[in-house]
Amino acid sequence: MPTLIKHDKITQDDWELVEAETPVNGARRIVPVDAWLPESGDGLLLPGDAEPDARFCEAPLIAINFAVFSDGRGLSLAVLLRTRFDFTGELRAVGDVHPELLYYLNRCGFDSYLLPDGRSAQTALSTLAPYTDYYQASVLEPNPSHRRIRRFA
Amino acid sequence: MYRYDAFDQKFVDERVVHYRAQTERYLAGELPEDEFLQLRLRNGLYIQRLAPMLRVAVPYGTLDSRQLRTLAFIAREYDRGYGHLSTRQNVQFNWPELAEVPDILQDLAKVQMHAIQTSGSCIRNITTDQFAGVAEDESVDPRPYCEIIRQWSTSHPEFDWLPRKFKIAVTGASVDRAAVDVHDIGLVVYRTSDEEIEFDVKVGGGLGRTPVIGQTIRRGLPVQHLLTYLEAILRVYNRYGRRDNKYKARIKILVRAMTADGFRDKVDAEWAHLKGSPSTLEEQDITRIEAHFQPPAYHSQPDGGDVLGKQRLEEPAFDRWLRHNVAAHKQSGYAIVTLSTKITGVPPGDVSDVQMDAVAEWADRYGFGEIRISHEQNFVLPDVRLDELFELWQQADAAQLGAHNVGLLSDIICCPGGDYCSLANAKSIPLAETIQRKFDSYDYQHDLGPLDINISGCMNACGHHHVGHIGILGVDKKGAEFYQVSLGGHAGNGASLGQIIGPSFSREEVPDRIETIFQVYLDHRHENEAFLSCFRRVGMDPFKERVYANPD
Repeated sequence: MPTLIKHDKITQDDWELVEAETPVNGARRIVPVDAWLPESGDGLLLPGDAEPDARFCEAPLIAINFAVFSDGRGLSLAVLLRTRFDFTGELRAVGDVHPELLYYLNRCGFDSYLLPDGRSAQTALSTLAPYTDYYQASVLEPNPSHRRIRRFA
Repeated sequence: MYRYDAFDQKFVDERVVHYRAQTERYLAGELPEDEFLQLRLRNGLYIQRLAPMLRVAVPYGTLDSRQLRTLAFIAREYDRGYGHLSTRQNVQFNWPELAEVPDILQDLAKVQMHAIQTSGSCIRNITTDQFAGVAEDESVDPRPYCEIIRQWSTSHPEFDWLPRKFKIAVTGASVDRAAVDVHDIGLVVYRTSDEEIEFDVKVGGGLGRTPVIGQTIRRGLPVQHLLTYLEAILRVYNRYGRRDNKYKARIKILVRAMTADGFRDKVDAEWAHLKGSPSTLEEQDITRIEAHFQPPAYHSQPDGGDVLGKQRLEEPAFDRWLRHNVAAHKQSGYAIVTLSTKITGVPPGDVSDVQMDAVAEWADRYGFGEIRISHEQNFVLPDVRLDELFELWQQADAAQLGAHNVGLLSDIICCPGGDYCSLANAKSIPLAETIQRKFDSYDYQHDLGPLDINISGCMNACGHHHVGHIGILGVDKKGAEFYQVSLGGHAGNGASLGQIIGPSFSREEVPDRIETIFQVYLDHRHENEAFLSCFRRVGMDPFKERVYANPD
């Protein structure tokens, strides 16, 4: 079973990824971009190399697929959705999500992560914040460290 | 030089804890090898042919005596008593135990060092002029900007999982010693007539399988926009760089596919959104970093020229060392000294723990405790008083670091090659040694003049063979080690890529063929014409003709 981590906790998943316009029992649907309609209330699944679009912001949830965990395109896509298109809904990482790397995803604006079967949720939860602070700006913290903290020469 | 504040120290300390936990999960079997690989690479740990190799970051090639003593300690405690100066100004250890790497990192962190992003598909160590801050021909000291980029690129949330590795070099002098034309991004920093700091930005240069000279996509970038403009370039590359083929994944392939104009347009469109964001540098941000790079307290003194003149006459070897290894300093009475690691019989760039300790000692005694590493794999002492050069030379000579060959034939750039590296097609260190042995006469080397021989054991070009005046590339020919020779490469101002002379040679053949190349040069050169200029004037034909004429 995949594990959903949302807002730093293991959470019951009330969304289901579906291929097309399949009805699902009780759960809300996340559909691929080709099958998605802005006013449907459906979540939207994007590949990492998708071009962001303002109409995506009407989705309550956007899932970005990581074909492999080392593919950083989904990180840039997330940053663009959050900072350029001001997407405020849930931004979820799906696909080959690696438990060691959630701190990168988090700083790029993701707030939920669907860990595939076999990936350790325990590792994920223990490495959510390996660093107290970072040098550069991010989606979470738009000011670089030296703007926030008095750093001494 | 830059000193950590509490923020930097905390980050590096937390990196040690984080990496130790990752190593423990790997050793406990919780993290599969192929996944741990991506994590350890972002911390400089390769698994080589014989053992792991740990690459320690030396930010823009600058370190102090305490840090160098720690590297000597690591060589002794965790390795086999030596380290290797890399062509990207870092230091590598060839024999650490994987399980001990967290302990090594902990020792490094105590002296403000780390191995963050020294490998993997991320922004690597920023490199620069090894004479930065002291060179006579410098218009702007590039080190503050290197440090600003280092901080920005450290564990960047968006740019740590790029299509491929990413190398940024910065120069601020009229002679480009940082090879900015062959980097993913090359930055030239200068002061305008209005005393403003600006950058020219080159992209898409690089060596490897597809060598390319970078193209300038922006001139006169005002300093405050440095990071936002880099962010725009990196975002375009991260999104559009190829990920289907690692040999086509570098930014140079993307720039070529989009054309430099197309790439610039894309970057500019992205930058339009980022320009003026909170990552824009304010004057105080720059001043704070610049304060770390103020000149040391130089003594005012006579220039020491009189005593030097006498010493030169008495010691011909000292005279040669002054001529080749000592460069002009911006402060009168001081000189920049290059300590050559290129001793016949020692792999280029290899230095023992004893030598590292000695260099640290000299940095304290004859300088202000600072040391540089050059991309030519030598040590540099940036601030030596003219009247102490003789004493330093005597000690360097006794420690096998006094070779008077900087810029000459025997100052070979060489990757670790097939002796260590699992990627190599051929050995490179033994070939360097054979060449050094064959042409060991100083008079012959001096007569040949400035000459860069660069050797890489494979297409990845860690030995920068494309930009050697004579470049040598190890190739595999039906399981046998062969060497392809190219001529006319150059890494500095007006960079050029070498042209392949013809079919490759066996290792035994290489020294004789090189001798023939020298002969052609000596026959054709005009007075005071260096090898590279002569080659550019006469072209490949006379060389090719003679090298492939009836073998002896």
